[in-house]
Amino acid sequence: MSPIRLMAANDWRLMARSRVAQLALLMLLALAAVAALTAIAHRDHSNDLRARFQAQADQDFDGQPARHPHRMVHYGHFVFRPLPALAGFDPGVDAFTGSTIFLEGHRQNSANFGDVRQSSLLARFGQLSPAFVLQVLAPLVLIFIGFGLIAAERERGTLRLLRVHGRSAGEVLRGKLLALAGIAAVLLLPACLALAWLTVSAQAEPVAAVLLTIGYAGYLGLWVTGVVTVSALTRSARGALMALLGLWAVTTILVPRIGSDVALRMAPLPTRLETDIAIQRDLHRIGDSHNPDDPHFAAFKAGLLARYKVSRVEDLPLNYRGLVAMEGERLTAGLFDRYAEAQFARQRRQAEVVNGLALLSPAVAVRSLSMALAGTDLEGHRRFLRQAEAYRYTIVQGLNRLQAEAVTYVDDGNRNSDPEAARRVRIDPRHWHDVPDFTYRSAGLGERIRAAAPGAAVLAVWLVLAAGALGLAARRLGRDL
Amino acid sequence: MSLWSHELRLFLRQPLAAPLLALLLLLASASVWAGLAEITRQHAAIDRILPQQAADEAAVAAWATREGDAGNVAYYTHYATWDRPSPLAFAALGQRDVAPFVLRIRALALEGQINESEAYNAELALPGRFDWAFVLTYLAPLFIIVLLHDLVSSEREGGRLLLLTVMARSETALWVRRVVLRVGLVILTLVLPLAVGGLLSGAGQPILGMAGLAAAYAVFWALVCVAVERFRLASVTSAATLAAVWLIMTLVLPGLALLAINAAVPVRQGVELTLAQREAVHAGWDKPKEATLAAFFREEPAWRDTAPMRSGFHWKWYYAFQHLGDLSVAEQVRAYRAGLERRNALSGRIGLLLPPVGLQMVLHRLAETDLVAQLAYQDRIRRYHRELRHFFYPFLFREQPFGPADFARAPRWRDSADTPRPPRPGA
Repeated sequence: MSPIRLMAANDWRLMARSRVAQLALLMLLALAAVAALTAIAHRDHSNDLRARFQAQADQDFDGQPARHPHRMVHYGHFVFRPLPALAGFDPGVDAFTGSTIFLEGHRQNSANFGDVRQSSLLARFGQLSPAFVLQVLAPLVLIFIGFGLIAAERERGTLRLLRVHGRSAGEVLRGKLLALAGIAAVLLLPACLALAWLTVSAQAEPVAAVLLTIGYAGYLGLWVTGVVTVSALTRSARGALMALLGLWAVTTILVPRIGSDVALRMAPLPTRLETDIAIQRDLHRIGDSHNPDDPHFAAFKAGLLARYKVSRVEDLPLNYRGLVAMEGERLTAGLFDRYAEAQFARQRRQAEVVNGLALLSPAVAVRSLSMALAGTDLEGHRRFLRQAEAYRYTIVQGLNRLQAEAVTYVDDGNRNSDPEAARRVRIDPRHWHDVPDFTYRSAGLGERIRAAAPGAAVLAVWLVLAAGALGLAARRLGRDL
Repeated sequence: MSLWSHELRLFLRQPLAAPLLALLLLLASASVWAGLAEITRQHAAIDRILPQQAADEAAVAAWATREGDAGNVAYYTHYATWDRPSPLAFAALGQRDVAPFVLRIRALALEGQINESEAYNAELALPGRFDWAFVLTYLAPLFIIVLLHDLVSSEREGGRLLLLTVMARSETALWVRRVVLRVGLVILTLVLPLAVGGLLSGAGQPILGMAGLAAAYAVFWALVCVAVERFRLASVTSAATLAAVWLIMTLVLPGLALLAINAAVPVRQGVELTLAQREAVHAGWDKPKEATLAAFFREEPAWRDTAPMRSGFHWKWYYAFQHLGDLSVAEQVRAYRAGLERRNALSGRIGLLLPPVGLQMVLHRLAETDLVAQLAYQDRIRRYHRELRHFFYPFLFREQPFGPADFARAPRWRDSADTPRPPRPGA
């Protein structure tokens, strides 16, 4: 066995005998198991429930009786955001974003019923998931087990013994690194099992699972290096422990919160209410279908009459009311898209601020990498919002088209006074079957990897910096020995 | 007295003491500043909305009152509601970042409107906010641990313990003095910025409750430190033990408790009632109109004697089945709410066992930023919605013409009487 491995093996023997190390390791493994089991069960349960609700909503829509198409526009549709398989590893922002949207004509509703709004403040303490265990708790275990690796030996005077045996400072550090890296590998194991299970049971992409493992291995490797470096640089074991605990508290607890506050200050978001009002105001300006003298709709009408070479809307081959509904929906949907994209752009600016702060905290970097690969980041929710809006537009315009084609203008006008016309405007319910069901297209692997790249880059920078610090520690240790 | 000042001098001469207290003061002050800035932003958002809302209503009034039909007005006018932060909210921002504090409603069926969300950035909400409650709950115990974990062991390891115990008139008094001094300084460091923030936001006496909680929480952690010290561990072991206790109390056990509570009390009634209410409302179109109106009159007998329906459509019938749609899910609404309250009550019970959880629950109750406050806002919206409906009913059922003057008489949302608007810092 090489001397480095010998030294590591010796450290492992010591750890195996240490009550603190045993307790810390066992507790973390138990927690990791609980976190993995509950996160996977919760993901499966939520996903099933949403699929069931979605099936019910589809069935409800298809089962509507004969109706005026515009009534179906207001009957609307519900869509539910399915949970990606890897949400069983990292639920990300799922609890914070609503999982269902009610889609209807002329209105854009919000995604509702996020878990956090339905929970007490307990939800803000953090949700136990394999990702949370690795991001927040595993570094602490590495600190508890590793802070004394060198500092305590120096205190006891056993460090000099190694020198007597002809070991260089570099070899000592590499031995300690290997010893602590072994612990990190054990900490990573439950998460690996959870990922493997998700690839088998829920068809998570193996590539994403492997990349997640590599990402977290890098993150834990960073802490291993950090712990060994600090332990080599501090005079006492207590000093090492204090410094490491401080480092942990600042990078995993403090900086993420301050990051949120700074981002909100630098790029504030308007409230939904203001956006609603702004959309109404713009709509009023570009075309108001309620206003008989509105220039946009006057021009629209004139254009139609000219195209079909008729002088009255009654003579159009299509139901004018349906055509106006289509034009109105086109205008509102254009505004919805514009305002949604502006909102998304603001959110991205906020994310950039947070990512800038990730330079101060590898925990922020690994969090964004993890959520991106799992498909549970805000971008995943934005995808859902975009697709839901596109779907809303498709079904509403489909129904408006039915009004234009399958309902006559005269019947449409007399439907409230003439029972026969009222009967005729209720079109065959087979049309509701023809409306396609909503299928959410999740982000492809390539897209998610690209989204994870900034976090990975920051982690890489940190690893390089940590390696540099370790070199420094090796020189200092060489002088001490 | 001289003993106390002597101890203070000794304590401050330690290399870590003064910088630690300064750091805690800085963090507490920064959190109070961030909290004040946040509630100023929320007030400003509400103030900014009022003129925009007025302009929006005026635009609707301009065309909707033209035909004098109250049905059109009620359909197209969105009425603004808002929920101003309480003066104490700056200290514990709570759920106000994920729950809307402004919401517009119409006189249509309410259940489809009341659960709308705010457009917030979920990735920013995920780690939580940097407020005073956070500094107190999470960071203050760490500072106390650093200051107290080696109270006795450092003297023992320094070889001074025997001398100290021999020289002291009362050994207990010596240690009590040292603990009280350290914890007292920590409490002072935490409470001072809070008091300043309270003065700026006009919080008044309730701030004393928060200060008291901070003191009790600090004392709790001091007692934990003292208890661990009694095991006569080496200072490094006691530091590690205390850090592990902190981790388990603030992160691990609350996380496990959340899993248990959410599993024990599912709240899917929220989605279910929304689906059911939409079915009920839209089925109203196809039901016999007389039956719908008869059912409505059982709830609202005042309009029983109004003229029967003549044509195929009448707004009064429309608003009747909207309201019946809400009533049809009343039971589920109650169940949903009971589920949310049960979750909150269980968290409160966990709080009795876990001081960090208990502290957060009480702080946010005092600040009125918790789930209970969110539900109270919804209750006020429900009452306001009822007012709105009853404002429109005479016009709809008695077919009174609705003019611009009537538009101005519609009930308005008011700042609630129990949360008077505080003077804003910097205003």
